[in-house]
Amino acid sequence: MSISTAGVVARPETVATSRAPAEKQSGKQRRNRSGRPRGRPDVARWLSPVGLVLLWQAASSAGVLPPDKLASPLTVFVSGYELVLDGSLVDAFLVSSSRVAVGFVLGTLVGGALGLASGLSRWGERLLDPPVQMLRTLPHLGLIPLFILWFGIGEEPKLALVAAGVAFPLYLNLHAGIRQADPALLEAARVLGFSRFERIAHVVLPSAVPQTLVGLRIALGTAWLSLIVGEQINADAGIGFLINNAREFLRTDVVVVGLAVYALLGLTTDALVRGLERRVLRWRAR
Amino acid sequence: MAGAVSIRGLAKEFGTRRVLDGLDLEIAPGEFVALLGRSGCGKSTLLRILAGLDAEVEGAFSVPDKVSMAFQQPRLLPWRRVWRNISLGLHGVDGRAVAEKALAEVRLESHADAWPLTLSGGEAQRVSLARALVREPELLLLDEPFGALDALTRSAMHRLVEQLWREHRPSVLFVTHDVDEALLLADRVVVLEAGRIVAEHRVDLPRPRRRASFVDLRVEVLADLGVDDVEAA
Repeated sequence: MSISTAGVVARPETVATSRAPAEKQSGKQRRNRSGRPRGRPDVARWLSPVGLVLLWQAASSAGVLPPDKLASPLTVFVSGYELVLDGSLVDAFLVSSSRVAVGFVLGTLVGGALGLASGLSRWGERLLDPPVQMLRTLPHLGLIPLFILWFGIGEEPKLALVAAGVAFPLYLNLHAGIRQADPALLEAARVLGFSRFERIAHVVLPSAVPQTLVGLRIALGTAWLSLIVGEQINADAGIGFLINNAREFLRTDVVVVGLAVYALLGLTTDALVRGLERRVLRWRAR
Repeated sequence: MAGAVSIRGLAKEFGTRRVLDGLDLEIAPGEFVALLGRSGCGKSTLLRILAGLDAEVEGAFSVPDKVSMAFQQPRLLPWRRVWRNISLGLHGVDGRAVAEKALAEVRLESHADAWPLTLSGGEAQRVSLARALVREPELLLLDEPFGALDALTRSAMHRLVEQLWREHRPSVLFVTHDVDEALLLADRVVVLEAGRIVAEHRVDLPRPRRRASFVDLRVEVLADLGVDDVEAA
């Protein structure tokens, strides 16, 4: 509770009449539940992850963990560094990122267009929502055999898989967000003489934004997942290729490097959406 | 005539419940009419009909072209800054300038760029008033706009509404269940019960009014509402 009020500027009269408690309060407000100042990372939370890595290294050095099962953290780090230097990691990174980017854009266009159409129009909802709701019960990763038959084993099935993973969560959340628009605000807009376009632009769509951003985050998570699965299909470039290739030579160090890059990419895109959220939803009371 | 309201035999049913039942009411241009009644007597329904939010009615009514309304809750768009809340829906004007002028009238000029969720209840309600007035309504509908405010803010809002009404001179239909509020502000107080007007009082008192000036009238109005006010008597 104390965190949520930390950003609120105290009213002058409150400060004047009760200075001592207010100061005590504000001192408290700058600390969170664990008692550390806000903004500074909690060092104690790093103990166990670092400990695990040390344990991993110890197990590798002692020969308990053979390198063909899992390479030591040190080896992984050195291999990662070498892969960056010889350019192969950067190439793989770019290929995989652009697959996600293209697939994501495609999925956003399809999911966004369908979501808008079925959210904003009664007939759109009647016609579009039933088939989309039926299709979404299919696990989209199960579509791989069909996608291979339709698109071959090149780039297309990978992009299609990412796009499918993005389109459904985006559609569902955009549609739900639009349907959640507050009737009281819509009524006010009508009385105030908003045109239909203005009602959509200033009432309906903004009220759908929070839910849509939730959908966007889910969509990005699914996009990376789809890419990882998609890159198992005969990839000749990208991080999936790097990993599969390394597997053939029992290079567990390179496999771990590839996985780490996947994780970093996922974290990065998630951070981007959170940044977007902070900017777009800055009207929310702090 | 501009600003005049005429309602004849207005009726409205929700399912089997007859919320308005042959209601007649005339409002002269520039007149401030307070509509009193208990909860569920049809006050808000009447306002919604006059605002054009409910078209399925029996009977006839005519309202001016320019109707505006302030609701019990301010109903501001939280994702638009205060000045945009005021100017949105206006066409062919400099929205910012119009909004700033309106905000100055409700003494919130420094809040033009604020987000609505940072406003207090009274401030938000003042923005809502500014938003209604900036449309230069010939008829202003007020649906218990001060119901959710504390007593001090409320009485400041009463003075503000009276002042704005004097300057802009719209006809006002002010729905409330607070007898004092009605007698402080209105030219005429009408009492609604079971979907029709059952009593009517003209309030010929100089403004600004003091509560002491309408003690007797208050007892009468309360009696019309079915309350024997021992305290006031």
